[in-house]
Amino acid sequence: MIALHLKKLPLTREVSLLILAYLYVPIFVLIAYSFNANRSATVWTEFSFAWYGRILANPSIQTAALNSIIVASIATVCATTIALLAALATYRPFYGQKVVEGGINLPLILPEIVTAVATLLLFMALGIKLGLLTVIVAHIGFCIPFAYLPIRARLNDLDKSLLEAANDLYANPWQVFRRVTLPLLWPAVLSGSVLAFVVSLDDFIMTFFVAGPGSTTLPVYIFSAIKAGVTPEINAISTLMLVISIVLVVLAFWLGQRGKQQ
Amino acid sequence: MNRKSMKLKKISHGVVGLALSCFTVFAAQAAEPKELFFYNWTDYYPVDLLAKFEKETGIKVTMDGYDSNETLLAKLQAGGAAYDVIVPSQSIMRTLINQDLLMEIDASTLPNFQYVRPAFRDPSFDPGRKYSAPYLWGTTGFSYDSARVPGGKLDDSWKEFFEPRKELQGQIAALDTSSSLINAASHYLNIDECSENPQDAKRILELLQKQKPFLKMYSSDNTVDRMASGEVIMMQNWNGSTARATLQKNTIKYVYPREGVAMFQDNFAVPKSAPHPGNAKIFIDWMMKPENAAAVSNAIAYDNGVQSEKLIDEKWRVMDAINMPEAFASRLRPEKECSNKARELQDRIWSKLKG
Repeated sequence: MIALHLKKLPLTREVSLLILAYLYVPIFVLIAYSFNANRSATVWTEFSFAWYGRILANPSIQTAALNSIIVASIATVCATTIALLAALATYRPFYGQKVVEGGINLPLILPEIVTAVATLLLFMALGIKLGLLTVIVAHIGFCIPFAYLPIRARLNDLDKSLLEAANDLYANPWQVFRRVTLPLLWPAVLSGSVLAFVVSLDDFIMTFFVAGPGSTTLPVYIFSAIKAGVTPEINAISTLMLVISIVLVVLAFWLGQRGKQQ
Repeated sequence: MNRKSMKLKKISHGVVGLALSCFTVFAAQAAEPKELFFYNWTDYYPVDLLAKFEKETGIKVTMDGYDSNETLLAKLQAGGAAYDVIVPSQSIMRTLINQDLLMEIDASTLPNFQYVRPAFRDPSFDPGRKYSAPYLWGTTGFSYDSARVPGGKLDDSWKEFFEPRKELQGQIAALDTSSSLINAASHYLNIDECSENPQDAKRILELLQKQKPFLKMYSSDNTVDRMASGEVIMMQNWNGSTARATLQKNTIKYVYPREGVAMFQDNFAVPKSAPHPGNAKIFIDWMMKPENAAAVSNAIAYDNGVQSEKLIDEKWRVMDAINMPEAFASRLRPEKECSNKARELQDRIWSKLKG
């Protein structure tokens, strides 16, 4: 109802468009200049794919991209597994349920800088050398809620009678999970894992703090390269990351929708 | 209900096992003796040269990049990031040494130290080269397009930049870095760049404010292309980026002003926490070999601190910007680490100028 009233307010349309423009124009400008033949980020000359060729041939960018993919893949698998487990363990009402769920979702609410500093201090206290391992462990931590939320939502909608029917037909617990629960949850597991992947791929703050030798990811590379000047190379990498993220988020959304329809 | 929670429990056990194995796989990272962790400014070392080092010594190098001396300092102070070789600028060397973050490597006892140029053997920031070895160095002078200035030549003086002739007014860029611009102004006015005297600061501010209307912009980005594309005729610039611009447009010249030109030196050093200090020394020694030092200069377009002039590419050797004429040596003013008081004055100059 409130939404209907809001729509009728004067200038709503104009203000919304302005806000959308404010949010998206810089991104479109960034994409447009990644196709600029000129090296200067401010002067347009002609259309070119040269910068994409350059970044694909740059070994530092290749290493950073590989690190990003390794970190995101492992963090996704681990975080989704943990999230699935957590969702299965928490979806039935129990004493303290809200607190436990709040704990799982805490990384969404806490300022990332706080989590990052805390994680760094933890690694220091444990005497763990920083590197790819610490980045992966830290990423698993903040990826869990992104995988947890869709799975948990799907569990709520699950038709409990299907599980009971399986029990009545003498399916053992593993069979029920494998043949009934998991297939029903699968779209949510996939969409949760894709979200976790995107979040891990884009993360800068946490990575910057806990990175050690050999763990430069793409966002960290972009940050450190920008001091030497914003070249269309940076625009090109950013555009590629943007495209990958959008594709994955659309995929996650589509999987989630498909799950609902089934 | 009970049966179901039993099921879930069993499933949970399986999943926990899987999750745990995720962690243990990575916990089993054994320390490799034949490796080296190299932490350098981003894109400040040719990657092909690492392959050569690996081939000759069998030591595998992992290179990561940082964006500023401050980031490097923070990483070392936080601890845990175990790098073997780092590349601090001279302006941060005293801080690193005083905070006990560097390992003594006695670079002067390494076999290839004999190739280091005399001027780089005993720097004030690290007397006797106990903690560091020289890497690249450069200067912050100014560049101009000789095809677009009257008479085709400018005087070797900061006057051309700070009090420009009419024809160049509005066609000039200054670096958007407070220390670079204030250093240059100090040299022009013959003031110590680390002066703590407010009167000196006032004179510097007046000079910069007088220059401001003649400038097209303050910017430290895209310095190579700003000159090469002709966006400005003259700009405060580093020698390396001038050389790259000259490669694109051969009328671009570099000036070492006679009042003094700020010189920066980057160095190799080994953090106290380095896991492979032996390999770090092998690497630093290897980098002092003229052929390897020259390979860096040829790729990055900055001169190095090793006697490698003959091995520098012809395209760079013909340029004053890279191959500094010996007569200008007396114009070099190594960058200093100013006191807090001096830095506060500089910040005030900068915020008044830009505000």
